[in-house]
Amino acid sequence: MFYFLYSFIHLRPFVDNMKNFKIGLIVSLTLILSFSACEKDDICIDADTPRLVIRFYDVTDTTEFKDVQNLVVRGLLPSGPKDTIPNAALDSIVIPLRTDANETSFALTRQLSIDDVNIDTLTISYEVKEVFKSRGCGFIVNYDALQATVKTDDSVWIQETRITTPLVENTASAHVKILH
Amino acid sequence: MSRYCISLLFILLATVAFGQSEPIDLNKKDTVIYKQPYGLRAGVDLSRVLVSFLEDNYTGLEFVGDYRLTQKLYLAGELGNEKKTIGIPLGNEINDLDGDLYQFTASGSYIKLGIDYNTYGNWYGEQNMIYVGGRYAFATFSQTLDNYNIFNTNRYWNPDDFAIGALQNQEFGGLNASWLEFVVGIKAEMFKNLYFGASARLGFLITNKDPENFRNLFIPGFNKVTDESKFGVGYNYSISYLIPLYKKAKEPEENELPEQPLENPEN
Repeated sequence: MFYFLYSFIHLRPFVDNMKNFKIGLIVSLTLILSFSACEKDDICIDADTPRLVIRFYDVTDTTEFKDVQNLVVRGLLPSGPKDTIPNAALDSIVIPLRTDANETSFALTRQLSIDDVNIDTLTISYEVKEVFKSRGCGFIVNYDALQATVKTDDSVWIQETRITTPLVENTASAHVKILH
Repeated sequence: MSRYCISLLFILLATVAFGQSEPIDLNKKDTVIYKQPYGLRAGVDLSRVLVSFLEDNYTGLEFVGDYRLTQKLYLAGELGNEKKTIGIPLGNEINDLDGDLYQFTASGSYIKLGIDYNTYGNWYGEQNMIYVGGRYAFATFSQTLDNYNIFNTNRYWNPDDFAIGALQNQEFGGLNASWLEFVVGIKAEMFKNLYFGASARLGFLITNKDPENFRNLFIPGFNKVTDESKFGVGYNYSISYLIPLYKKAKEPEENELPEQPLENPEN
């Protein structure tokens, strides 16, 4: 930009010097404006609020995965249950937690036959940690000090819950182990 | 009458002979000393004033000044104050305040000090500048996180928009930053002692004290801070007045070429 301006000014024999200077001034103003418009995109691609990963294990052999037959998981609000959370496999599920509360309840349904339907209520409690990630993503939430409790009723199919990772930062590994 | 004419002719011839006793100096030195004004130039940035009037989310003022040291070197500086509210849109209602993912206000003052080097060879009587310069700049400021939402690509619990963050209106005070600035600019004398100028600036952050769990995304005087980058850009359009303090003769330039003869003197 600068050298361009400079060469402009040195066309001295042809144009009056002051006029030349004014032309250079206009050119530089235009260039300065276009220069200040170059900025990086503000699209969020590098961060997200993580979801909770639950894996189901056999209660007799706690290292073996065990499918939950016809597993259906719904989020619970005081006003009632919400839509089914889609799951890809029967031995694990990835579920979203509420960012505006310190605990989230889910209804986990196991259906062995048409008549044998067992619904257990799992409540996950945690500390919400708001983390500023980047200009484009702003704030996300990490969950810390994870705790899981199952509401006791007549027939509970969930035998035991174990927290394997108390800090939810990503979905790379399981956070909660459910034995049944 | 003829006698009178002849005697007059003799007198005139003698005068001519007397006048021609010395050879004519064709490369006579110019003895008129050209003096240029030196002094303090002070002014204000017009763009910050204009943008303050036009935009609701910005108020800013910048004073500019320079002091001429030598033929080409100037001591230069800027002093300013800026307050800017920036919203990052990502919610459902774009172009609306409610659609902002988060919104913050940066407010503070800055000072920039350095030099300007004039690269423009002025003609007789001109006092214009096309300059390059450097600055060291320092800013103290505060940031307020006016409101923010939690970014979450999963919309199970909040199907309509992002969930609202827990601690609205957080203020982060006592922040500071320093940076180096490269300046390219122009200053033209439009009327006697009145100058219009424009400059583009490329800043390089040296220190930047970020608040806890937030980041300095806008620094007064530096402008936008981009993620994972230390560079920033800025500009100003100034109007300034020269207070002439003294005059000093222009030093002759060593590499100044003698005037070239015309190629075709007949034309």
